[in-house]
Amino acid sequence: MSKIVEVQDLVKYYGSGENLVKAVDHTSLCIESGKFTAIVGRSGSGKSTLLHMIGGLDRPDSGRVLIDGKDIFGLKSDRLAQFRRKKIGFVFQDFNLIPSLNVWENIILPMGLDGRKVPVEEVEEKMEYLGLLGKRKAMPAMLSGGQKQRVAIARALVMNPAIICADEPTGNLDSQSELEVVDLMKKCVRDYGQTLVMITHDEGIAQMADCVILIEDGKVVSQS
Amino acid sequence: MKMVTKVAYANMKYHKSKNILTGIAIFLTTLLLFLVPAVGFDSVELQFAVTNKLYPTWQALYRNVDTDTVNRLRAHHDMETYGLRSDVGKIANEEAEISMYYMDETGMELYRIELTEGHVPKEKSEIMVSKGMLDSLGIHAGLGDTVRFPVQKYVGNQLDYIQETEFQICGFLPDSEAALENQTYMALISREYMEEIIPGEEIRYRFLFRVSADERTEIDKLKDQIKGIAGKFGISEAEIGFNDDYLYANYTDPAQLPIICLIMLVIIVAGVITIYSIYYISMTQRIQEFGRIKAMGATRKQVRQIVLREGFCVALIALPLGLAVSTVLLKPLLLYFVNMAGKSAFRQGYEEILRNGECNLYPWWLYLLTCVVALVTVYLSLLHPMQKAAGISEVEAMRYQEKQSGSRERKGYQDLTVGRLAKTNLYGDRKKSVLTILTMSITGMFVMVVATALSCASPSESADSDLYGQYELSLDTESGNQEHPEKEWDRVIANNPLTAELKAQIERLDGVERVETFTNVMVESDLQYQGEIAANQVLGLPESCFEELKKGIVEGKASWSDLLEGDKVIVNKALLYWCPEVKVGDQIQIRIEEEGQMVSRDLEVIAIGDYRFGLTGFCDLIFSKEAADSLLRQDCTGSFQVLAEKKYDAKLEKELQELAASSGLVAMQTWKEKYDFWKNSMNITQIVCIAFLCILSMICIMNLINTMIHSVHIRKKELGMMQAIGMTDAQMAKMLRMEGLFYTSGTLLLTIGAGSILGYPVFLWMKAQHLYSVTHYHYPTEAAVIVVVVMVAVQLLLTTALARSVKKESLIDRIRFSE
Repeated sequence: MSKIVEVQDLVKYYGSGENLVKAVDHTSLCIESGKFTAIVGRSGSGKSTLLHMIGGLDRPDSGRVLIDGKDIFGLKSDRLAQFRRKKIGFVFQDFNLIPSLNVWENIILPMGLDGRKVPVEEVEEKMEYLGLLGKRKAMPAMLSGGQKQRVAIARALVMNPAIICADEPTGNLDSQSELEVVDLMKKCVRDYGQTLVMITHDEGIAQMADCVILIEDGKVVSQS
Repeated sequence: MKMVTKVAYANMKYHKSKNILTGIAIFLTTLLLFLVPAVGFDSVELQFAVTNKLYPTWQALYRNVDTDTVNRLRAHHDMETYGLRSDVGKIANEEAEISMYYMDETGMELYRIELTEGHVPKEKSEIMVSKGMLDSLGIHAGLGDTVRFPVQKYVGNQLDYIQETEFQICGFLPDSEAALENQTYMALISREYMEEIIPGEEIRYRFLFRVSADERTEIDKLKDQIKGIAGKFGISEAEIGFNDDYLYANYTDPAQLPIICLIMLVIIVAGVITIYSIYYISMTQRIQEFGRIKAMGATRKQVRQIVLREGFCVALIALPLGLAVSTVLLKPLLLYFVNMAGKSAFRQGYEEILRNGECNLYPWWLYLLTCVVALVTVYLSLLHPMQKAAGISEVEAMRYQEKQSGSRERKGYQDLTVGRLAKTNLYGDRKKSVLTILTMSITGMFVMVVATALSCASPSESADSDLYGQYELSLDTESGNQEHPEKEWDRVIANNPLTAELKAQIERLDGVERVETFTNVMVESDLQYQGEIAANQVLGLPESCFEELKKGIVEGKASWSDLLEGDKVIVNKALLYWCPEVKVGDQIQIRIEEEGQMVSRDLEVIAIGDYRFGLTGFCDLIFSKEAADSLLRQDCTGSFQVLAEKKYDAKLEKELQELAASSGLVAMQTWKEKYDFWKNSMNITQIVCIAFLCILSMICIMNLINTMIHSVHIRKKELGMMQAIGMTDAQMAKMLRMEGLFYTSGTLLLTIGAGSILGYPVFLWMKAQHLYSVTHYHYPTEAAVIVVVVMVAVQLLLTTALARSVKKESLIDRIRFSE
């Protein structure tokens, strides 16, 4: 398997003076393409910061993140946004759907931003795959937590990104929905050949991963 | 500090940006609430102070009062102060007009006559003169010197033969600039001298007086009181003279109050709309906040108090600031306005009083009034937000996660673009979008309506409307002026100075195109308003004016042959204000005095017309010149209307002035004078209106700023998420710009569209009322362009600033943001 993500000596600080916190401390790691990688660690260990930097949402103080061999922080802000749009899909704990858009519009949003014509059949196929076809016109306020997260997954998948970054996607879900969502995501990775990087507290979910990275005090303690 | 106040204070600090905007709106509202009445009241107060400084202080006078009536009037219980003046005669002089009066000491005080030297005349031979008067007579004399003057005493209304009389100068009077310029002087003589030359029973006084009244007394009531006293002593109303300048300066004129109240109402409405809108829009964001407070045990009343006190806390900072800035601005503003009013003795006095601080410009009650009205404005603005916050259910508020919009399915778009994203956001929060557009448009429409009124008021057109041509030479007549009986119309036309020879002389002047002759005949008619004759002039126009006459007809029909007949007349629409019952087909009876006999004629109203002042002047009954000329045997030429090649020609004006002066009792009006008058008066109005509208617009812009900031603030997370999934900075800026442009275009559509439509009836009303002599509609293009440019510029600047401020926060912080 080839490396899709390569993190090199990444450092990220928060705060200043006495309140200076080193969230990520000279961390280096590799993530293989087409695999489900779980990042685990205690609260405040720096795992979310690491994931955000891998996804290009946050900039490091030093170090590099290479995706498909490209240093993403070498890109200017707008180029990075375009890169994220094409290469990376995001799923968050609190769904982050756009409340004024209906389910269909939320899903096709990255395509709209990319100025692409929507391949209706392809999107509908993904919606069917995620059990959302009947909810096309529904507004986010009408959906349950599980349904909202499925919409968020559909939105992350719609551009066929190489990597899906999921930040505790099951944190706001009941146990039934939790399993459904993880299964779905794993299925997507398998069926669409994508790389899933997921942060989780849940040991059960971590065990379902192909690779588990343990973070403590901003450093990679183990990678298995 | 009570917990409710503590929470309100903490809220004020936490919601800083919203409260800064509210504070600016309250500050601007306070500024207007203080400055509008302050400039209004202070201008009037200053005018009154100048009047009190320069004008006589008697309230009224009774003319032609004999000694017996004077003694009885003195005993009347309403008389507070009284003085006497008697016009004894004149000192003959070709260059100057020198009147000779007897005046008692109180009379001198009431006339503000102060001696520069010596004492008032007591002995028969004593006289008080001025240096200017002596100079005009070519006499060099000092205090105590004996001089001889050619005295002409009055016998009835006529002047007697000259009698050289010897006097001893006992005192000197000052010469005013106006007296020196006009060569009009007075000499005061003693009672003994007056009684010597005029028999006691023939002496007639002017009884100058003040009755007991305080400043709250209304002028009309005071006048009625004075008329009442006159009636009791058999003094006719024609013999009463009111010192109107003094009366209006010292007693209440009820007409001022409604105008000030109306302007203040407009400010309150603009303030309420803006502050309400700012609070209303932010209230949706704070539902959870109030829900939590209620869940912790706060009562509805306490929640209402929190919202109210937060608003009042902001007002406590903004209001004193507004008052302080207004206080600083007031004096320079008044000085600016007075400087615009041109040069005059009155203006100099005004400026002097202003600079020396002789008039209290800052009455305490004005501050109190501003505070009360501003706080009431804030309270009214907060009423609905208070009710909304208090009405939130605890459970509903705690569950509240996202905007409640979207509880129904929506078809949506197959493809998404940045424009469509902006549209869905605006549609999703349509109540807020509509409210913002409506509140901003109301102010905008007001701006456009006032701008229409200002653009229709053109000094050039007003001057055109006020004068038929470029110059008017008319009879200098005055009715009922006991000072100048020679100016009575019937005496002037007996030897009419507007002769054919004068007309020919005018026509020969370079630059004159033609001269039209208008006939004016003074009549009595049976049309009355409150006991007075309403139509007392007949106007005869030449055939060249018929087209304009015909065009102005609003009811009925008239042909030139009708107007030649002499018993058919067009009624000027202005007459309907006094006599609304007049209609086409009515018969009006007029009476004309000819050789001491009254001759009646019946006139049929064949049409009613609306005409410019330049055509009809104060005449209400119009027919042909030929018909008007046939009414009397005398030459009734009332005016020569001079149509010149240029609107203003200094050389021609001078020549005409010389001709008018040499003809005697001919007054001249010029287009330039009218133009200058209108330009000056419109300039002041324009500047006041523009300043007022600018502040009002700034209040309105606060609303736009609030809506945009709020819209970005509450969507910080949403915008962050959009950027996370690939929205570029440029796309975000474009989306915000499109949203802003939606508010701007919606507001502009209503402002320009509805404002322009509403402006037209205002123009029609101004035209009907002959306000500023408005004649033509002018679309306020400049104002419309300025409104569009300012709104678009503010909006673009705002969205650029907002997009930049959003970028300052890291993407991840925005995604993590929760209210």
